[in-house]
Amino acid sequence: MATDNIYKVLKAAVEEVIDESPLIKTFVLTPEVPFKFSTGEFIELTLDGLGEAPFTPSSSPYITDKMEVTIMKTGYVTEKFHKLKRGEILGIRGPFGRGYPVEKFFGKEILILSGGCGLAPIRSLLFALERIKDKLKKVTLCYGSKTPTECIYKSLFSRLNKIEKFETYRTVDKYEPGWDESVGVVTTLLDRIQLNIENSVAVVCGPPIMMNFSTVRLLEKGFKDDQIYLSMEKNMSCGVGKCGHCMMGEFFVCKDGPVFTYGQIKHIPDLWK
Amino acid sequence: MNNLYKINRGEWFRLLQVLLVSSYNIFAPVRKNGGIDYTIVNTESYDDIRYNEAKPVTPLKLFFLPVKLNVIKTEKTSKKTIIIGAPSCDVEGLKLLDLIYLNEKFVDKTYFLKREKTLIITTDCYMVQEHCHCTTYGINPYSEKGCDISLSSTLNNIYLTSWSKKKDVFIKKLISSGQIEATSSNESEVISEQRRRTIKYLDEKNEKLPGTVKTGEKIKEPYYEIWKKYPSNCVSCGACSAICPVCTCFIFIDKPGFEKMKQLDICQYPPFERITGGEDPLKELIMELV
Repeated sequence: MATDNIYKVLKAAVEEVIDESPLIKTFVLTPEVPFKFSTGEFIELTLDGLGEAPFTPSSSPYITDKMEVTIMKTGYVTEKFHKLKRGEILGIRGPFGRGYPVEKFFGKEILILSGGCGLAPIRSLLFALERIKDKLKKVTLCYGSKTPTECIYKSLFSRLNKIEKFETYRTVDKYEPGWDESVGVVTTLLDRIQLNIENSVAVVCGPPIMMNFSTVRLLEKGFKDDQIYLSMEKNMSCGVGKCGHCMMGEFFVCKDGPVFTYGQIKHIPDLWK
Repeated sequence: MNNLYKINRGEWFRLLQVLLVSSYNIFAPVRKNGGIDYTIVNTESYDDIRYNEAKPVTPLKLFFLPVKLNVIKTEKTSKKTIIIGAPSCDVEGLKLLDLIYLNEKFVDKTYFLKREKTLIITTDCYMVQEHCHCTTYGINPYSEKGCDISLSSTLNNIYLTSWSKKKDVFIKKLISSGQIEATSSNESEVISEQRRRTIKYLDEKNEKLPGTVKTGEKIKEPYYEIWKKYPSNCVSCGACSAICPVCTCFIFIDKPGFEKMKQLDICQYPPFERITGGEDPLKELIMELV
């Protein structure tokens, strides 16, 4: 963080706005000074005078002079973000929390389940895994979206499929003409995947209902609680575990997460609400 | 007990008037609207200060965590502050806030500066309110460690015990006035006896209340029957959290120029944890309480 007041923002200019789907855009930002983060950590992105919201960068953690943030239009602040134009100034706070412990993935097969805009943090993780692919056994990405139109990062999949040890699968809930991949929820893809589960970890990121059913399915397949990494979405605000908005059982998601193993949090009542 | 100093009531008032009001902002409890609450002491109101009565409506936390605070523009406080009449229960609450805002991983600078510039003088509670139950949670109705100076009042004298390093300047001012003196063991015993009486009264009054251990167990059971009782008539007004000595949740309100107002927020308000996707872990009131 470039400032010692954690509530003070680092200014960043919008360099490019990329339409990913009708509701999702990626903003390429240029921070006024290089900005470091680890994959899976999140930032608070501020619209001057209007509000801020938490997002996990979708770009590579190895690139510090630019950052990409993918935002789905879901409410007041995100709708304002979607109206941003090139050259406008945003504020960044962070990075906050604990991201993916990639060093624990060394020597393992990594199964990634992602849904909707949940592919944004996963894209950052994929960039990080690509950098250390020699230390990994295999990376399998399963991605689900509602329709082919809402499928984001369309060029990412063909690029990943060309990388040694990487394979990707896509599915949609609802068929549209021209779609030649799977139809069904993301967990249906699991039946097609061969894994040595004992030497695997699973990473899940998406809407709570998708994460809930994915976790259940992974447990059924034989994954153990601590082999499943979940990126929890809560109302993170201050970023340092003080404001109370992201409290989840004994944890503050902003400080102790957002990445948890299922084993860490499975005892929390109403986990997916 | 640490060193106990004594000062005649008349001299204490004179000191407040002459020595202190000029160099400090002094807050102390006075009678207000049927209860007692803090007011800023001026040269005419020092005589209205209530000692040894529980307890001011405004929690001590609001001196350090104001309802609204600009966290980008640093506050420039010129005068030091003295708070007279803080009850022991509020000081215990402040200790918990210190753990949140002044720990080894995070120091909130504004909170730190306010704590540094404030001298807390607690008063023993000789009178208690209907719902006072400090002893149930292992807290005494008088303060020792955690405050800077503790104060007990009798008809003729004010007794002061110093507990922190910060009290030095204040005590030196009193000593230099020539009106403060050490007390006898008999006088200490009078204060101790009054404290014992208050504890006994509170223990008897709250005999049936669960202590900290049992309360902690109940909190761990979110659907415990007792938690269903309170949401039944809760209207999410947030008053309980506002007067709670430790409730400290907040929300940011963004202002132009990337300024942020930190404003006290309360988990009893319906959208407290709601995310834009619509999920809300605290949708049921019962979850807000536990």
